[in-house]
Amino acid sequence: MKKQLIDLRINGDSCEVAVEPQRTLLEVLREDLGLTGAKEACGTGECGACTVLADGKPILSCLTLAIEAQGKEITTIEGLSKAGELHPLQKAFIQQGAIQCGYCTSGMILNAKSILDENPKPSREEILKGLEGNLCRCTGYNKILEAVMAASTGKD
Amino acid sequence: MRIPKFEYVRPLTVEEACSLLYKYKTDAKILAGGTDLFVKMKKKKILPKAVISLNGIKRLDRIEWDERENVGMGPLVTHDGLVRHPTMRKKFDFLCEACLKIGTRQVRNMGTLAGNLCNASPSSDASAPLLVLEAKLKLVHLYGERIVPLEDFFVGPFQTVLHPEEIVAEIRIPKLPPHTAGSYQYVHKASSVGETLVGVAVLLTVNPEDATCQEARIGLSSVAPTPIRAKAAERTLKGRRMDAKIIEEAAQVVSDEIQPRSRPWYRREMARVLVERAIFQAMEKIG
Repeated sequence: MKKQLIDLRINGDSCEVAVEPQRTLLEVLREDLGLTGAKEACGTGECGACTVLADGKPILSCLTLAIEAQGKEITTIEGLSKAGELHPLQKAFIQQGAIQCGYCTSGMILNAKSILDENPKPSREEILKGLEGNLCRCTGYNKILEAVMAASTGKD
Repeated sequence: MRIPKFEYVRPLTVEEACSLLYKYKTDAKILAGGTDLFVKMKKKKILPKAVISLNGIKRLDRIEWDERENVGMGPLVTHDGLVRHPTMRKKFDFLCEACLKIGTRQVRNMGTLAGNLCNASPSSDASAPLLVLEAKLKLVHLYGERIVPLEDFFVGPFQTVLHPEEIVAEIRIPKLPPHTAGSYQYVHKASSVGETLVGVAVLLTVNPEDATCQEARIGLSSVAPTPIRAKAAERTLKGRRMDAKIIEEAAQVVSDEIQPRSRPWYRREMARVLVERAIFQAMEKIG
Protein backbone atom coordinates (compact mmCIF):
# COMPACT_ATOMS: atom_id res chain seq x y z
CA MET A 1 0.00 0.00 0.00
CA LYS A 2 1.13 3.52 -0.73
CA LYS A 3 2.78 5.69 1.85
CA GLN A 4 0.52 8.14 3.59
CA LEU A 5 1.42 11.45 5.11
CA ILE A 6 0.63 11.51 8.80
CA ASP A 7 0.88 14.16 11.50
CA LEU A 8 2.31 13.11 14.81
CA ARG A 9 2.67 15.10 18.02
CA ILE A 10 5.84 13.95 19.70
CA ASN A 11 7.32 15.51 22.83
CA GLY A 12 5.37 18.68 22.17
CA ASP A 13 6.48 19.05 18.54
CA SER A 14 4.46 18.36 15.43
CA CYS A 15 6.02 16.31 12.72
CA GLU A 16 4.89 15.06 9.35
CA VAL A 17 6.06 11.64 8.22
CA ALA A 18 5.26 9.51 5.18
CA VAL A 19 4.54 5.96 6.34
CA GLU A 20 3.12 2.72 5.09
CA PRO A 21 0.15 1.70 7.26
CA GLN A 22 1.73 -1.47 8.65
CA ARG A 23 4.59 0.44 10.25
CA THR A 24 4.47 0.63 14.02
CA LEU A 25 4.89 3.76 16.06
CA LEU A 26 8.09 2.21 17.42
CA GLU A 27 9.57 1.77 13.95
CA VAL A 28 8.71 5.32 12.93
CA LEU A 29 10.10 6.79 16.16
CA ARG A 30 13.36 4.89 15.83
CA GLU A 31 13.91 4.73 12.09
CA ASP A 32 12.32 7.88 10.72
CA LEU A 33 12.57 10.30 13.62
CA GLY A 34 15.83 9.17 15.20
CA LEU A 35 14.21 8.78 18.62
CA THR A 36 15.92 5.55 19.66
CA GLY A 37 15.04 5.70 23.35
CA ALA A 38 12.10 3.33 22.94
CA LYS A 39 13.42 -0.17 22.33
CA GLU A 40 12.19 -3.30 20.67
CA ALA A 41 12.71 -6.51 22.62
CA CYS A 42 9.87 -9.03 22.45
CA GLY A 43 7.81 -7.23 19.81
CA THR A 44 4.67 -8.89 21.15
CA GLY A 45 3.61 -6.72 24.08
CA GLU A 46 5.08 -8.66 26.97
CA CYS A 47 8.27 -6.81 27.90
CA GLY A 48 7.38 -3.12 27.92
CA ALA A 49 10.72 -1.96 26.43
CA CYS A 50 8.82 -0.07 23.71
CA THR A 51 6.59 1.80 26.19
CA VAL A 52 5.78 5.41 25.33
CA LEU A 53 3.07 7.67 26.71
CA ALA A 54 0.00 8.52 24.64
CA ASP A 55 -1.93 11.38 26.25
CA GLY A 56 -0.05 10.54 29.45
CA LYS A 57 -0.93 6.84 29.44
CA PRO A 58 1.63 4.11 28.84
CA ILE A 59 1.12 2.16 25.63
CA LEU A 60 3.14 -0.37 23.65
CA SER A 61 4.57 1.37 20.60
CA CYS A 62 5.46 -1.99 19.03
CA LEU A 63 1.75 -2.89 18.78
CA THR A 64 0.51 0.57 17.81
CA LEU A 65 0.36 1.66 14.19
CA ALA A 66 2.06 5.00 13.62
CA ILE A 67 -0.96 5.99 11.55
CA GLU A 68 -3.21 5.36 14.56
CA ALA A 69 -1.07 7.51 16.85
CA GLN A 70 -2.29 10.63 15.07
CA GLY A 71 -4.17 13.06 17.28
CA LYS A 72 -2.44 11.82 20.41
CA GLU A 73 0.25 13.57 22.40
CA ILE A 74 3.14 11.09 22.37
CA THR A 75 5.89 11.36 24.98
CA THR A 76 9.13 9.43 24.61
CA ILE A 77 12.05 9.30 27.00
CA GLU A 78 13.71 12.03 24.90
CA GLY A 79 10.90 14.38 25.91
CA LEU A 80 11.28 14.07 29.67
CA SER A 81 14.18 16.40 30.38
CA LYS A 82 13.35 20.08 30.46
CA ALA A 83 15.93 22.72 29.42
CA GLY A 84 18.80 20.30 29.82
CA GLU A 85 17.63 19.30 33.30
CA LEU A 86 16.87 15.60 33.77
CA HIS A 87 13.45 14.57 35.04
CA PRO A 88 13.45 13.62 38.77
CA LEU A 89 12.83 9.99 37.80
CA GLN A 90 15.82 9.99 35.46
CA LYS A 91 17.98 11.45 38.24
CA ALA A 92 16.69 8.91 40.74
CA PHE A 93 17.43 6.01 38.35
CA ILE A 94 21.02 7.24 38.02
CA GLN A 95 21.46 7.92 41.73
CA GLN A 96 20.02 4.60 42.83
CA GLY A 97 21.96 2.58 40.24
CA ALA A 98 18.69 1.41 38.71
CA ILE A 99 20.21 1.16 35.24
CA GLN A 100 22.29 -1.84 34.25
CA CYS A 101 22.23 -2.62 30.52
CA GLY A 102 19.67 0.15 30.08
CA TYR A 103 17.45 -1.63 27.63
CA CYS A 104 14.35 -1.55 29.83
CA THR A 105 15.07 1.89 31.30
CA SER A 106 13.12 4.12 28.91
CA GLY A 107 9.99 2.06 29.27
CA MET A 108 10.43 1.73 33.03
CA ILE A 109 10.83 5.47 33.52
CA LEU A 110 7.91 6.39 31.28
CA ASN A 111 5.58 3.88 32.93
CA ALA A 112 6.82 5.03 36.36
CA LYS A 113 6.09 8.62 35.34
CA SER A 114 2.51 7.75 34.50
CA ILE A 115 2.18 5.92 37.82
CA LEU A 116 3.46 8.95 39.76
CA ASP A 117 1.39 11.40 37.71
CA GLU A 118 -1.68 9.45 38.78
CA ASN A 119 -0.62 8.82 42.36
CA PRO A 120 2.34 10.89 43.63
CA LYS A 121 2.81 8.67 46.71
CA PRO A 122 2.29 5.06 45.66
CA SER A 123 3.10 2.18 47.99
CA ARG A 124 5.83 -0.32 47.10
CA GLU A 125 3.10 -2.79 46.09
CA GLU A 126 1.40 -0.23 43.88
CA ILE A 127 4.69 0.50 42.12
CA LEU A 128 5.44 -3.19 41.65
CA LYS A 129 1.95 -3.87 40.33
CA GLY A 130 2.18 -0.81 38.07
CA LEU A 131 5.53 -1.84 36.62
CA GLU A 132 4.55 -5.47 36.03
CA GLY A 133 4.52 -4.87 32.29
CA ASN A 134 8.16 -3.80 32.18
CA LEU A 135 10.67 -6.61 32.32
CA CYS A 136 14.30 -6.09 33.33
CA ARG A 137 16.45 -9.01 32.15
CA CYS A 138 19.34 -7.80 34.31
CA THR A 139 16.78 -8.37 37.08
CA GLY A 140 17.65 -5.15 38.86
CA TYR A 141 14.12 -4.72 40.13
CA ASN A 142 15.00 -3.68 43.67
CA LYS A 143 17.05 -0.70 42.53
CA ILE A 144 14.31 0.28 40.10
CA LEU A 145 11.75 0.13 42.90
CA GLU A 146 14.06 2.20 45.14
CA ALA A 147 14.47 4.77 42.39
CA VAL A 148 10.74 5.17 41.87
CA MET A 149 10.24 5.39 45.66
CA ALA A 150 12.95 8.06 45.86
CA ALA A 151 11.42 10.07 43.01
CA SER A 152 7.99 9.85 44.59
CA THR A 153 9.09 11.04 48.02
CA GLY A 154 11.12 13.77 46.30
CA LYS A 155 7.89 15.25 45.05
CA ASP A 156 6.44 16.29 48.42
CA MET B 1 9.38 -8.18 14.30
CA ARG B 2 7.42 -6.47 11.54
CA ILE B 3 3.74 -6.47 10.81
CA PRO B 4 3.15 -7.85 7.29
CA LYS B 5 1.67 -5.40 4.80
CA PHE B 6 -2.05 -4.79 4.64
CA GLU B 7 -4.54 -2.34 3.29
CA TYR B 8 -5.60 0.08 6.03
CA VAL B 9 -9.13 1.38 6.13
CA ARG B 10 -10.60 3.71 8.69
CA PRO B 11 -14.37 4.00 8.43
CA LEU B 12 -16.15 6.86 10.18
CA THR B 13 -19.37 5.01 11.00
CA VAL B 14 -20.34 1.49 12.06
CA GLU B 15 -22.43 1.18 8.87
CA GLU B 16 -19.37 1.98 6.78
CA ALA B 17 -17.33 -0.56 8.73
CA CYS B 18 -20.04 -3.17 8.09
CA SER B 19 -20.09 -2.48 4.37
CA LEU B 20 -16.28 -2.79 4.26
CA LEU B 21 -16.54 -6.11 6.08
CA TYR B 22 -19.13 -7.22 3.58
CA LYS B 23 -16.75 -6.32 0.77
CA TYR B 24 -13.68 -8.03 2.23
CA LYS B 25 -15.37 -10.82 4.20
CA THR B 26 -12.70 -13.21 5.53
CA ASP B 27 -9.92 -11.09 4.00
CA ALA B 28 -10.36 -8.38 6.61
CA LYS B 29 -9.76 -8.09 10.33
CA ILE B 30 -11.19 -5.53 12.70
CA LEU B 31 -8.69 -3.40 14.62
CA ALA B 32 -9.69 -2.18 18.07
CA GLY B 33 -6.79 -2.18 20.56
CA GLY B 34 -4.41 -4.23 18.43
CA THR B 35 -2.85 -6.16 21.32
CA ASP B 36 -4.05 -9.51 19.97
CA LEU B 37 -4.37 -8.69 16.27
CA PHE B 38 -0.84 -7.39 15.68
CA VAL B 39 0.78 -10.16 17.72
CA LYS B 40 -0.99 -12.73 15.52
CA MET B 41 -0.04 -10.82 12.37
CA LYS B 42 3.60 -10.49 13.41
CA LYS B 43 3.71 -14.23 14.05
CA LYS B 44 2.00 -14.71 10.66
CA LYS B 45 -0.80 -16.70 12.25
CA ILE B 46 -3.23 -14.52 10.35
CA LEU B 47 -2.50 -12.43 7.27
CA PRO B 48 -5.53 -10.27 6.50
CA LYS B 49 -5.57 -8.38 3.23
CA ALA B 50 -7.24 -5.46 4.95
CA VAL B 51 -7.34 -4.08 8.47
CA ILE B 52 -10.46 -2.13 9.32
CA SER B 53 -9.79 0.24 12.19
CA LEU B 54 -12.72 1.14 14.43
CA ASN B 55 -10.75 3.97 15.99
CA GLY B 56 -12.08 6.60 13.60
CA ILE B 57 -15.67 5.99 14.71
CA LYS B 58 -16.86 8.35 17.40
CA ARG B 59 -18.34 7.31 20.72
CA LEU B 60 -17.49 3.63 20.51
CA ASP B 61 -15.72 3.96 23.86
CA ARG B 62 -18.89 5.01 25.66
CA ILE B 63 -20.37 3.35 28.74
CA GLU B 64 -24.00 4.30 29.22
CA TRP B 65 -27.22 3.24 30.91
CA ASP B 66 -30.62 2.90 29.27
CA GLU B 67 -33.93 3.83 30.93
CA ARG B 68 -34.12 0.37 32.52
CA GLU B 69 -30.63 0.78 33.98
CA ASN B 70 -29.03 -1.80 31.74
CA VAL B 71 -25.44 -0.95 30.87
CA GLY B 72 -24.23 -0.70 27.29
CA MET B 73 -20.52 -0.62 26.54
CA GLY B 74 -19.17 0.25 23.12
CA PRO B 75 -16.61 -2.00 21.42
CA LEU B 76 -13.74 0.42 22.07
CA VAL B 77 -14.12 0.45 25.86
CA THR B 78 -10.67 -0.54 27.09
CA HIS B 79 -9.98 -2.53 30.24
CA ASP B 80 -8.55 0.66 31.71
CA GLY B 81 -11.56 2.69 30.62
CA LEU B 82 -13.82 0.22 32.39
CA VAL B 83 -11.91 0.04 35.67
CA ARG B 84 -11.66 3.82 35.84
CA HIS B 85 -15.38 4.32 35.41
CA PRO B 86 -16.65 5.25 38.91
CA THR B 87 -20.12 3.75 38.49
CA MET B 88 -18.80 0.55 36.92
CA ARG B 89 -16.34 0.21 39.81
CA LYS B 90 -19.15 0.54 42.28
CA LYS B 91 -21.78 -1.60 40.59
CA PHE B 92 -19.55 -4.24 39.02
CA ASP B 93 -16.55 -4.29 41.33
CA PHE B 94 -15.70 -7.91 40.61
CA LEU B 95 -15.76 -7.38 36.84
CA CYS B 96 -13.33 -4.48 37.34
CA GLU B 97 -11.10 -6.66 39.52
CA ALA B 98 -10.99 -9.24 36.73
CA CYS B 99 -10.11 -6.56 34.19
CA LEU B 100 -7.33 -5.27 36.45
CA LYS B 101 -5.85 -8.75 36.32
CA ILE B 102 -5.67 -8.65 32.50
CA GLY B 103 -2.27 -8.01 30.93
CA THR B 104 -0.33 -5.01 32.17
CA ARG B 105 -0.96 -1.26 32.48
CA GLN B 106 0.07 -0.87 28.86
CA VAL B 107 -2.16 -3.69 27.63
CA ARG B 108 -5.13 -2.46 29.68
CA ASN B 109 -4.75 0.99 28.13
CA MET B 110 -4.92 -0.49 24.63
CA GLY B 111 -6.88 -3.73 24.77
CA THR B 112 -10.66 -3.63 24.64
CA LEU B 113 -13.23 -5.76 26.41
CA ALA B 114 -14.94 -6.59 23.10
CA GLY B 115 -11.61 -7.56 21.54
CA ASN B 116 -10.85 -9.78 24.51
CA LEU B 117 -14.19 -11.57 24.04
CA CYS B 118 -13.68 -11.93 20.28
CA ASN B 119 -10.27 -13.46 20.88
CA ALA B 120 -12.19 -16.07 22.89
CA SER B 121 -9.30 -17.38 24.91
CA PRO B 122 -10.53 -20.12 27.28
CA SER B 123 -8.59 -18.31 30.02
CA SER B 124 -10.04 -14.83 29.37
CA ASP B 125 -10.42 -13.10 32.75
CA ALA B 126 -13.28 -10.81 31.79
CA SER B 127 -15.39 -13.71 30.55
CA ALA B 128 -16.23 -15.38 33.86
CA PRO B 129 -17.67 -12.20 35.45
CA LEU B 130 -19.49 -11.27 32.23
CA LEU B 131 -20.98 -14.77 32.05
CA VAL B 132 -22.44 -14.52 35.55
CA LEU B 133 -23.68 -11.01 34.79
CA GLU B 134 -25.47 -12.61 31.81
CA ALA B 135 -23.94 -10.12 29.42
CA LYS B 136 -25.27 -10.04 25.88
CA LEU B 137 -23.48 -8.99 22.74
CA LYS B 138 -25.06 -6.93 20.01
CA LEU B 139 -23.62 -8.15 16.71
CA VAL B 140 -24.30 -5.95 13.72
CA HIS B 141 -23.84 -6.54 10.01
CA LEU B 142 -24.76 -4.64 6.90
CA TYR B 143 -28.32 -5.94 6.79
CA GLY B 144 -29.27 -6.20 10.43
CA GLU B 145 -28.26 -7.18 13.92
CA ARG B 146 -28.69 -9.97 16.46
CA ILE B 147 -28.32 -10.21 20.20
CA VAL B 148 -26.28 -13.16 21.44
CA PRO B 149 -25.92 -14.11 25.11
CA LEU B 150 -22.22 -14.33 25.94
CA GLU B 151 -22.73 -17.94 26.96
CA ASP B 152 -23.68 -18.79 23.35
CA PHE B 153 -20.95 -16.59 21.87
CA PHE B 154 -18.06 -18.94 22.63
CA VAL B 155 -18.02 -22.20 20.68
CA GLY B 156 -14.49 -23.50 21.25
CA PRO B 157 -10.97 -22.40 22.12
CA PHE B 158 -10.46 -19.09 20.25
CA GLN B 159 -13.71 -19.64 18.37
CA THR B 160 -16.93 -17.66 18.50
CA VAL B 161 -20.21 -17.50 16.60
CA LEU B 162 -19.21 -14.11 15.15
CA HIS B 163 -19.52 -14.19 11.34
CA PRO B 164 -16.80 -12.58 9.24
CA GLU B 165 -19.25 -9.82 8.24
CA GLU B 166 -20.24 -8.99 11.81
CA ILE B 167 -18.96 -6.48 14.35
CA VAL B 168 -19.52 -6.55 18.11
CA ALA B 169 -21.28 -3.22 18.44
CA GLU B 170 -22.13 -3.38 22.13
CA ILE B 171 -21.70 -5.39 25.31
CA ARG B 172 -24.83 -5.20 27.44
CA ILE B 173 -25.14 -6.00 31.10
CA PRO B 174 -28.63 -6.21 32.58
CA LYS B 175 -29.46 -4.37 35.79
CA LEU B 176 -28.78 -6.36 38.94
CA PRO B 177 -31.56 -7.16 41.42
CA PRO B 178 -31.21 -5.95 45.04
CA HIS B 179 -29.29 -8.00 47.64
CA THR B 180 -26.92 -9.13 44.92
CA ALA B 181 -23.13 -9.16 44.86
CA GLY B 182 -20.35 -10.85 42.98
CA SER B 183 -16.78 -11.92 43.44
CA TYR B 184 -13.88 -12.87 41.16
CA GLN B 185 -11.13 -15.19 42.38
CA TYR B 186 -8.25 -16.61 40.40
CA VAL B 187 -4.89 -18.33 40.40
CA HIS B 188 -2.43 -17.64 37.62
CA LYS B 189 0.78 -18.93 36.10
CA ALA B 190 4.06 -17.37 37.18
CA SER B 191 5.06 -16.11 33.72
CA SER B 192 5.50 -12.72 32.06
CA VAL B 193 1.90 -12.86 30.90
CA GLY B 194 0.58 -14.49 34.08
CA GLU B 195 -2.14 -16.37 32.27
CA THR B 196 -5.03 -17.42 34.49
CA LEU B 197 -5.03 -21.10 35.47
CA VAL B 198 -8.44 -20.99 37.06
CA GLY B 199 -10.75 -17.97 37.16
CA VAL B 200 -14.00 -18.10 39.14
CA ALA B 201 -16.79 -15.54 39.18
CA VAL B 202 -19.78 -15.91 41.45
CA LEU B 203 -22.91 -13.78 41.52
CA LEU B 204 -25.36 -14.31 44.37
CA THR B 205 -28.74 -12.94 45.32
CA VAL B 206 -29.55 -13.78 48.92
CA ASN B 207 -32.86 -13.14 50.64
CA PRO B 208 -31.99 -10.99 53.69
CA GLU B 209 -34.94 -12.37 55.70
CA ASP B 210 -34.04 -16.04 55.77
CA ALA B 211 -30.59 -16.20 54.10
CA THR B 212 -31.88 -18.38 51.27
CA CYS B 213 -30.21 -18.22 47.90
CA GLN B 214 -32.56 -16.66 45.36
CA GLU B 215 -30.10 -16.71 42.51
CA ALA B 216 -26.66 -18.25 42.11
CA ARG B 217 -24.48 -17.97 39.07
CA ILE B 218 -21.02 -19.44 38.79
CA GLY B 219 -18.74 -18.75 35.83
CA LEU B 220 -15.30 -20.16 35.22
CA SER B 221 -12.46 -19.57 32.81
CA SER B 222 -9.54 -21.78 31.93
CA VAL B 223 -11.22 -25.02 33.03
CA ALA B 224 -12.91 -26.04 29.77
CA PRO B 225 -12.55 -25.39 26.02
CA THR B 226 -14.43 -22.12 26.55
CA PRO B 227 -15.33 -19.98 29.56
CA ILE B 228 -18.35 -21.73 31.07
CA ARG B 229 -21.18 -21.56 33.61
CA ALA B 230 -21.36 -24.29 36.26
CA LYS B 231 -25.08 -24.90 36.07
CA ALA B 232 -25.28 -28.05 38.17
CA ALA B 233 -23.57 -26.25 41.06
CA GLU B 234 -25.87 -23.27 40.61
CA ARG B 235 -28.88 -25.59 40.98
CA THR B 236 -27.35 -27.01 44.16
CA LEU B 237 -27.46 -23.55 45.73
CA LYS B 238 -30.72 -22.11 44.45
CA GLY B 239 -33.47 -22.00 47.03
CA ARG B 240 -31.22 -23.31 49.77
CA ARG B 241 -30.16 -21.65 52.98
CA MET B 242 -26.57 -20.47 52.53
CA ASP B 243 -24.59 -22.35 55.15
CA ALA B 244 -21.07 -23.78 55.13
CA LYS B 245 -22.26 -27.26 54.23
CA ILE B 246 -24.18 -26.28 51.11
CA ILE B 247 -21.34 -24.03 49.95
CA GLU B 248 -18.89 -26.88 50.31
CA GLU B 249 -21.23 -29.15 48.41
CA ALA B 250 -21.69 -26.64 45.56
CA ALA B 251 -17.93 -26.16 45.27
CA GLN B 252 -17.50 -29.91 44.96
CA VAL B 253 -20.14 -30.04 42.23
CA VAL B 254 -18.22 -27.36 40.31
CA SER B 255 -15.03 -29.34 40.67
CA ASP B 256 -16.79 -32.39 39.21
CA GLU B 257 -18.62 -30.68 36.36
CA ILE B 258 -15.72 -28.74 34.79
CA GLN B 259 -13.62 -30.25 31.98
CA PRO B 260 -10.04 -29.04 32.29
CA ARG B 261 -7.96 -29.89 29.25
CA SER B 262 -4.67 -29.97 31.13
CA ARG B 263 -3.55 -30.22 34.77
CA PRO B 264 -7.02 -31.56 35.60
CA TRP B 265 -6.32 -32.50 39.20
CA TYR B 266 -4.89 -29.09 40.07
CA ARG B 267 -7.57 -27.18 38.22
CA ARG B 268 -10.39 -29.16 39.86
CA GLU B 269 -8.90 -28.61 43.31
CA MET B 270 -8.37 -24.90 42.71
CA ALA B 271 -11.84 -24.47 41.23
CA ARG B 272 -13.29 -25.99 44.39
CA VAL B 273 -11.28 -23.71 46.66
CA LEU B 274 -11.90 -20.57 44.59
CA VAL B 275 -15.64 -21.18 44.30
CA GLU B 276 -15.90 -21.40 48.09
CA ARG B 277 -13.87 -18.23 48.47
CA ALA B 278 -15.93 -16.39 45.87
CA ILE B 279 -19.22 -17.44 47.47
CA PHE B 280 -18.06 -16.33 50.92
CA GLN B 281 -16.84 -13.01 49.56
CA ALA B 282 -20.07 -12.37 47.67
CA MET B 283 -22.09 -13.16 50.81
CA GLU B 284 -19.96 -10.81 52.84
CA LYS B 285 -20.63 -8.02 50.34
CA ILE B 286 -24.39 -8.63 50.49
CA GLY B 287 -24.10 -8.41 54.29
